[in-house]
Amino acid sequence: MAQLQTKGLGRAREIYRDRARRARELKKEGRKIFGYLDINPPVEILTAAGIVPFHLLGDMSEPITKADVCLPTVVCPFLRSVMDQGLKGKYDFLDGALFSHTCEVAEKMSHIWRIYLGDSEVYYIDTPHTTHDAAVKQHKYLLEDFIKALAESTGAEITPERLREAVALHNEQRALVRELYDLKKPDPPLISGRETIQVIVALTVLPVTEGNELLREVISEVKQRPEKPPQQPARLLVWGSIMDNTALVEMIESIGANVVMDDNALGSRAYFEDVEASDDPLDGLAYHYLVSIRNPRTFRETVLDKEGRKDYMTDLEARFGHLRDYAREWHANGVILQALRYCDSHAYEVPGIGDYLDHVGLPHIYLELDYNQSALAQLRTRIQAFLELLD
Amino acid sequence: MAEVKKKPINRLKTMYPLRALVDGMYERAQEASREGRPVAWCMVNWWGGDVVLRAMDVACIYPEDYGAVCAAFGAAPAHMARCDADGFPTHMCGYARNTLGYTAIMSELGEIPPDVPMGGMPKPTLLLGSAYFCDTRYKWFQSLGRYLDAPLWVLEMPHPGVKEYQTEGAPEHDIAFLVAELKGFAAFLEKLLKKKMDWDRFAELVDDTIEMNRVWYEVNELRKAVPCPMHSRDFWSSMPASLYMAADPKETARLYRDMYDEVKALVDNRQGAVAEEKYRLAFAELPPWHSLKFFDSLAERGWNFVIESWAYHPPKPIDLSHIKDPVEKIARLTYRYFTGFFADACATQDWWGYFEHPYLEYAREYRCDGIFLHPLLTCRTATNHLMVVQDQAMKRLKVPSIVIEGDIVDLSLFDPADALRKAETFEETMDYYKEMRQKEGLDW
Repeated sequence: MAQLQTKGLGRAREIYRDRARRARELKKEGRKIFGYLDINPPVEILTAAGIVPFHLLGDMSEPITKADVCLPTVVCPFLRSVMDQGLKGKYDFLDGALFSHTCEVAEKMSHIWRIYLGDSEVYYIDTPHTTHDAAVKQHKYLLEDFIKALAESTGAEITPERLREAVALHNEQRALVRELYDLKKPDPPLISGRETIQVIVALTVLPVTEGNELLREVISEVKQRPEKPPQQPARLLVWGSIMDNTALVEMIESIGANVVMDDNALGSRAYFEDVEASDDPLDGLAYHYLVSIRNPRTFRETVLDKEGRKDYMTDLEARFGHLRDYAREWHANGVILQALRYCDSHAYEVPGIGDYLDHVGLPHIYLELDYNQSALAQLRTRIQAFLELLD
Repeated sequence: MAEVKKKPINRLKTMYPLRALVDGMYERAQEASREGRPVAWCMVNWWGGDVVLRAMDVACIYPEDYGAVCAAFGAAPAHMARCDADGFPTHMCGYARNTLGYTAIMSELGEIPPDVPMGGMPKPTLLLGSAYFCDTRYKWFQSLGRYLDAPLWVLEMPHPGVKEYQTEGAPEHDIAFLVAELKGFAAFLEKLLKKKMDWDRFAELVDDTIEMNRVWYEVNELRKAVPCPMHSRDFWSSMPASLYMAADPKETARLYRDMYDEVKALVDNRQGAVAEEKYRLAFAELPPWHSLKFFDSLAERGWNFVIESWAYHPPKPIDLSHIKDPVEKIARLTYRYFTGFFADACATQDWWGYFEHPYLEYAREYRCDGIFLHPLLTCRTATNHLMVVQDQAMKRLKVPSIVIEGDIVDLSLFDPADALRKAETFEETMDYYKEMRQKEGLDW
């Protein structure tokens, strides 16, 4: 198999189209690869153990034919697709897998994975659900337990020093992604929404240093290239469930809008907060992956108003104020709220975010997705109507 | 004189006072509200939070129970329609949609809506969410902030995996976490209600709760008898008294003891819950509350439902008499509930120690011919594991399952006529696998 030769955006696009190919190359080079799911597993620990973290993703274009035996149709179609890929042997290059309690279906999938794909080198971190002090402390214990189990099984030495180095490398990646997103602020943006997803998805298979190199190449290329995405009448922020495929954004960008900002688990949500330096690196990691990341599955204490009373809008401001800030900084004039069908943690947010966006004067539309490429066509008319509203 | 037709399911007499205890909680909450005493809307939290609230004299009601009540009384569709109109996605939990719609209407009227079942749920002083099992059970209460200004506390619960549970020190960390969370909740309540926790009363309630669960567990052990003397319908009517801690646990324990005596007498007399027990089934998970008469038709065919999901059963008994701190005691009871099947799961390398594995243990111990799987189209938690249960019960035990889709609240998602047609053909499948089990040396 020929190694990937291209650089920058071309390389990102190639990896995006066939992530498994790069994973197999890495495997051939003697690297250990662990799959992980969603935003809560601390990838720094895998990096510190010399393991390449590989984000488990689904395939929107492939029908689910194997996962029905273990996951019913009324759960998250993205997770069903991930399981389907696993059962079809598409992740056969993995040396292990790391799950967390990122949502209730993902938690249960860790047990299902063990039953159907083997329990060897499969780990699960029971991420707490609140930001209580006791929850952060518990999270740290759970990370310690995971490190012990991983070190025992793989022989890796996961020292505080190595963890600190891994945190620094991943923070570097976070800073580079933020720099990449800065390129979307001009009008027209220097990089399209489609290209951004390709780069972000490519990062999910690369060792962190290689990912950082790719980001530097992309940033440099985008700044220098003469052609830019076309200027469009609408600039949109897209919030919601994981987006590991360009299909929706491509469709939006083909009908009169630039997707200039996002808030989802693969995009800004994973990169816009750094892991804070701490004497014990596990303190920083435990806090970051439970508290700092804005995952709707984590309950944050209700923020009270100045008089100490519960006030709906004050609470919404604390939960969703970052969306207003994103819209201001990236000059977005509309918001698409999208959630995968059966994704409860996002679904419950929808009316509240809608209320908040009404309050700050940002037009919005809600789309429910089936994680199925062919089902997107019927959304086209709704999005077109929404874009006309923004004119 | 017309002949009185015998009912297909022999209902337990001792079930009725337990059900009445739960129904009475609405009246008690309404009375508390009228008198200006605090009222909490609670998620089922497996006793820790309930005991804290009860020791602080807070009247508790459970919107999950109210969802079932509204479904049974036909009031849920109107509430769900309001919830849908307010922009909540329709695939969300039926119980949640019922409560959100009910609360939206209540908040608009400024009072309990007229003609709602059981006199309705009065406006709460606080909300107690739970992180156990289901994302919905705290996201739903967070969403109520749209209509209510009641503060919300979310009670944490650890969810260890079967393997992780074996890690040295892991269970003790989990217990310490539960203890810290319960103490945090007590401190939150003290601040909110401006009164001190009565820790002596708390300790007494903890002991009574442990005893209540022990007796209730013993009642269900009796159901292993052939024929089984207690049908799932009686279980579902009786379980809320434990799960929702509807009244003083001492009183509930007394009523469960009465039930034990009645069931024991039936066992001694070899009297089953259905006239001629041909098939013994486990039911997974929650029933269609709006269509419970459906079980009469199955009973007429000799189907007896002898066990249900682990999730609604009391924990396996555990000796906690040596634990001095009552908070730790109740935390250990809750933890026991969650991990009680883990040892067997680990020994048999079945990695889903709750929800899935208990069915395998139950199918053996309760000598089940089949498992009735009821995927709930709006509930991930009660549905996630059902395909694995079906697959593993067949692979490991040669116990077949029947899948009948429906919903706990939404009547339109359940088709009893079609379900009965499927049930008829499933009997042949159960007969076939009974022979298969015998050939393979399984003893039922």
